[in-house]
Amino acid sequence: MGVSRHNTPDIYLDYAATTPVDPRVAERMAECLTQDGLFGNPSSMHGPGRAARAAVEKARAQVAALINAGSPEIVWTSGATESDNLAIKGAARFYKDKGRHIITSRIEHKAVLDTCGQLEREGFEVTYLKPDRDGLIKPDAIVAALRDDTVLVSIMHVNNEIGTVNDIATISQVVHARNALFHVDAAQSAGKLPIDVKAMDLDMVSLSGHKVYGPKGIGALYVRRQPRVNLQPLLHGGHHETGLRSGTLATHQIVGMGEAYRIAREQLAEEIPQLAALREQLWRLLKESIPAALLNGHPLQRVAGILNVSFPGIEGESLLFGCSGLAVSSGSACSAASAEPSYVLRALGRDDELAGASLRFSMGRFTTPAEVEAAARIVIGEYQRLKALALAG
Amino acid sequence: MALIPAGDLLEHFRAPRNSGVFPSGTPDVFEGRAGEARRGREIQVQLQLDATRRIAACRYRVYGDPATIALCSLASETLPGLSLDQAADWRGMALAERLQLPAEKRGAVLVLEDAVRAAVRSYNRAARPDLVAGDTGRN
Repeated sequence: MGVSRHNTPDIYLDYAATTPVDPRVAERMAECLTQDGLFGNPSSMHGPGRAARAAVEKARAQVAALINAGSPEIVWTSGATESDNLAIKGAARFYKDKGRHIITSRIEHKAVLDTCGQLEREGFEVTYLKPDRDGLIKPDAIVAALRDDTVLVSIMHVNNEIGTVNDIATISQVVHARNALFHVDAAQSAGKLPIDVKAMDLDMVSLSGHKVYGPKGIGALYVRRQPRVNLQPLLHGGHHETGLRSGTLATHQIVGMGEAYRIAREQLAEEIPQLAALREQLWRLLKESIPAALLNGHPLQRVAGILNVSFPGIEGESLLFGCSGLAVSSGSACSAASAEPSYVLRALGRDDELAGASLRFSMGRFTTPAEVEAAARIVIGEYQRLKALALAG
Repeated sequence: MALIPAGDLLEHFRAPRNSGVFPSGTPDVFEGRAGEARRGREIQVQLQLDATRRIAACRYRVYGDPATIALCSLASETLPGLSLDQAADWRGMALAERLQLPAEKRGAVLVLEDAVRAAVRSYNRAARPDLVAGDTGRN
């Protein structure tokens, strides 16, 4: 249990928005800040610089290991949003003479959708695929959308709102059959599902630090070397990261992400069934007391930690604020500043009213069965209260 | 921007006063409805009149955001004592100010006013058909 700024205990079920930094990660990070630590500029040739560089390269290997990449294929960024920008704009602009058509889906993160929007303003054409009713992007839909001038396809591995898992290995095959590049936003899947960039044949993968118990403000982009994927950089400067991403490397952030990914790799097999059990416990408790509750997204093809539920007959904002003491998201946290119903749930065919009355619960490393039970009690109590207040029918 | 309930708003949202409906068969109860759930808010208001044709008590059912629920609750404490003519002209903006509702939430006030007016009209239709003929309606 955390403590909110109002000093009331909050049950935190919003791990898909962000995770607390694992104490082991925080410890490694602290070692990189002060005079007695790895404070040097990793680009400097002297002792402190070389020591920091060694820590950065160790972290790079740790991140690479989680997805079976080679170390030189990992480029540090400020987070998954920048990784998505670098992958999509970088590839589209570099290969613009080959073609100007891009394929993505309507339920991508805004970091992908808004980036594609920018490319449209630059003269690219973007196809936004509609997911099926279960929230999946089927390889057949990609095949139908691919054209001779398609240069890039960007499809997320796990959807951040509903937790559905796309079959990226098969999508990769159909994309490569037409000689296009394939980018995967794996912000919600790295450390939650096995990823093997070689076996899955991926060209670019966006990774986040803070979704995997690492710090905020750091991410990475996997950029394939064999065959080589070329990108036009977004930032120009000191030619860091082989010119792909200039800017002094943030040793403490990088070391933190490396340690987080090391731990994730070590604990992945153990954590997946634990999270799946918590998710099933929550769904069972909710469904028992609220038979009308609807599960959003494919019932089986889903990541362990995320459960998205619609509650018919009550209003969404009241539900969210009525569940005080429970930290969950209505739609995705990234768009919580707007009261608009979730565009992901709308794309799945939920109407505005139902999409608004939906909660995303996401469990993580520090979630306990007792917290899940308490969370279910809060939601059920608030649902029943609002339902009693509302008009019959 | 989603509203973060605080102060009176939070209090009325969490513990709405006088919610529900009068037991069926309660005399001198008139009812009005406004809004649509699919457009975000729907309110049903019941007004009970005393022997002098003033509002004695108010009940409501409400589907809506915290602002709508809190407004109904506060109105149920404010409406009693008003004559029917006063209720027909009733404006909820003072309540919205008391709850410190931001401009984008003030649509709830209009729906509530419509529901109160609909309840008054329902009285007029039942008890004062002479007036209904001249009632051009306000909405």
